[in-house]
Amino acid sequence: MSDHVTEWLNAYLDGELSGRRLHQVEEHLAECETCQSELESLQGLSALLQEVPAAESISPERFAAQVNLRLPHRPVKRTRNRIIEVGWWMVPVGLLAVWIFISTAILVSDMVSAANNIGLLDNGTALLISGTAENAGWTAALGQFGILQGNSLHWAEFTESFSRNVLPQFAWQVSIALLYLAWIAIWWARRTRQGHGQLLEG
Amino acid sequence: MTGEKENPTVATVQTVHETELVKSAQNGDRSAFGELVREHAQGVLNVVHRMCGDAQLAEDAAQETFIRAWQNLSSYRPQTSLRNWLYRIAVNAATDMLRKEKRILPDDIDDLHLPDGRPGVESLVSQQERITIVQKAILALPEASRAVLVLREYEGFSYQEISSTLDVPVGTVMSRLNYARKLLKEKLQPQLSLLEAEHV
Repeated sequence: MSDHVTEWLNAYLDGELSGRRLHQVEEHLAECETCQSELESLQGLSALLQEVPAAESISPERFAAQVNLRLPHRPVKRTRNRIIEVGWWMVPVGLLAVWIFISTAILVSDMVSAANNIGLLDNGTALLISGTAENAGWTAALGQFGILQGNSLHWAEFTESFSRNVLPQFAWQVSIALLYLAWIAIWWARRTRQGHGQLLEG
Repeated sequence: MTGEKENPTVATVQTVHETELVKSAQNGDRSAFGELVREHAQGVLNVVHRMCGDAQLAEDAAQETFIRAWQNLSSYRPQTSLRNWLYRIAVNAATDMLRKEKRILPDDIDDLHLPDGRPGVESLVSQQERITIVQKAILALPEASRAVLVLREYEGFSYQEISSTLDVPVGTVMSRLNYARKLLKEKLQPQLSLLEAEHV
């Protein structure tokens, strides 16, 4: 004899089981008198509870009139709630828009730089994108004063270039991703508060 | 398979007409709200009556339910069931009403003094008395378990519907229902024996 299925008998009685769990309970009930007796007991209780009559019928008109007399004259605050709800759903849309904008800006910037490097841009356009970090950076100043030389200067330039160009891009992307994940987590938490029926499917 | 109990009051489909009424009521239309009240009055009254066990208190709680609904109609989302939303308010209104009235309810189901269930003695107990005993036993349940039991046994709600109505996980619905039935079975054992004897 397998373990009793007592904990699932209420759900079975209420028609809430499905799949493997339902099969398991039915199989067990076919051979276990203890659980059969428990199920009959639950059915008896349900029958006993049904003996309690419902509330007496009321006149809907009279009841509605009484409620109407007690209704306060209050302003409807629908607009504010609507704005909050729309704002909530605009959060991911806004994050996506920011992400697309930044990615596009970075892509365009890289393409322009690449075009400039291979000499596709004329002098005027090239002038507009000149004056980059390498020329105005602190490594150049340290190099001019002779504080950094050779490999040290090369690594300092690389580090400065990395911190000026790649890190901000990376930070932007990570920030947006984190905000988006936080929004999903909140949405999921709100949703799962309602519970789900998979528990009953075994 | 035993299957679910059928209950004609269960109407999960929200009609287009009702959605329109809700929209109008949300914009301050009292006559539209009145129509919603007429539509759901009996259902709400049934729930609060099971929760309170007193006709007058139940009617007060039912009226309070609709007043709260009117005041908070802006927070109702039309894509959810209006009936479930109203029932949630009804359960809370009934609970608050019982506390406010300070009705003397048994703090614990063990405080109930129920008749002996032995054959012979039990035969003296009329069906009306048995009903009273069952009502008292239901009222003695913890509020949270009572609400789940009422929605399941009398309104025929599925566990998922109870979950969304009371805003608790399905697992909690199951445990509260198991607990309520366990307590009732223990306390109503004499009445269960009598009922069984009647049907043999």
